[in-house]
Amino acid sequence: MVEVSVFDRIIERYERSEESLLAILQDFQREFHYVPEEGIRRLSEVLRVPESKIYAMGTFYKALSLTPRGRHVVKVCTGTACHLKGAPQILEALERELGVKRNGTTEDGEYTLECVNCVGACAMAPVTLVDEEYHGQTRASKVMDIIRKRTEE
Amino acid sequence: MEKISVIIDGKTLHAVKDRCVLQVARENGIYIPSLCYNSEVESSGGSCRVCLVEAHQGGRMRLVTSCNYPVRAGLEVKTDTPLVRRIRRGVLELLLARVPDSEVIREMAAREGVTEVRFRRDEGENERYKCIACALCTHVCAEVVGVHAIAMTERGADKKPATPYHKPSEVCIGCGACAYACPTGAITMKETDGVRRIWGKDFPMVRCSVCGAPHIPEAQVDWIVKRTGKDRAFFDKCPDHR
Ligand code: SF4
Ligand code: FES
Ligand code: FES
Repeated sequence: MVEVSVFDRIIERYERSEESLLAILQDFQREFHYVPEEGIRRLSEVLRVPESKIYAMGTFYKALSLTPRGRHVVKVCTGTACHLKGAPQILEALERELGVKRNGTTEDGEYTLECVNCVGACAMAPVTLVDEEYHGQTRASKVMDIIRKRTEE
Repeated sequence: MEKISVIIDGKTLHAVKDRCVLQVARENGIYIPSLCYNSEVESSGGSCRVCLVEAHQGGRMRLVTSCNYPVRAGLEVKTDTPLVRRIRRGVLELLLARVPDSEVIREMAAREGVTEVRFRRDEGENERYKCIACALCTHVCAEVVGVHAIAMTERGADKKPATPYHKPSEVCIGCGACAYACPTGAITMKETDGVRRIWGKDFPMVRCSVCGAPHIPEAQVDWIVKRTGKDRAFFDKCPDHR
């Protein structure tokens, strides 16, 4: 259970209007690696916006997650170009290596594995993102190297 | 209210300016199929697309959704051309592919000659097999009832109305307006032994002091009393015995 004050500290940074919703949710996401239920509840109280509306926003945006995500997020691009260049194999290998299915988070809370549709860097296909950092022409082994290095840091 | 004249299917009609084509057609006995529009609900419409018609104006033709297209002077509407029928059949085929369990959609599609679908439904996590994701229920809850218990969640093929976290809502009053408004009957509302169940929550009903029939959820009475200051005693009896 997260203290209400933790959410308030983030909410306070913004104007008390509905327009601040997305920015606040993004801050929650950054801070907790997901948007906690209590956070949505508190935000609804303070901004006087229905909880159903904030929850719906949380389910709509890919950048927000309503279940805890790992400290590191690995996104495999499975857009058309990347698909042709072997994204499915990369995904499969990563699933095996990390021991999670797509959209899953490793038990130690380190990694979340996700798929995205075309990140706009098709020339570099196949593309994998590690914590928003683009890696082009990747193979699963290369991605694992990057991941391992991250964990050591 | 400024009156103008429009032509719908060759008939010249007088109508209030800016009223939607669908409503004007209805008032004049012209049938246009529709699902997601309700004239009592401000932001309804524009989602199901079965109400498409041809709008001719200034020598140009556009296909528009009649439920949110305003009538203006000089507008001519055609609701039953080969083009309209073809596109409408396409829309209905897609809807039928999505919710084959819905009698309303099956009937509407059959009326246009659509009984088979060429598309395969994506067996996603959409458990509401009758829901066409039109959002009318959520508009009703927010705008007419004023409760905001449900909202459209997810997106794409998974889009669906839901309470936060799919849990029993803290604010829902069990009025059932969403279920009544839903064009496809996708929202289940059941009543057993004076308890109504909707959106996974149970609502004890007030029984009529004359006939004993359960007629309104207690939570809804609380809401009305709080909002309007109406006398609680008014709800002791059902509408038939007041
Ligand atoms: S439940 Fe009914 S009213 Fe609500 S979005 Fe689905 S089809 Fe529309
Ligand atoms: S398909 Fe992967 S970047 Fe475009
Ligand atoms: S009735 Fe017009 S789009 Fe649904």
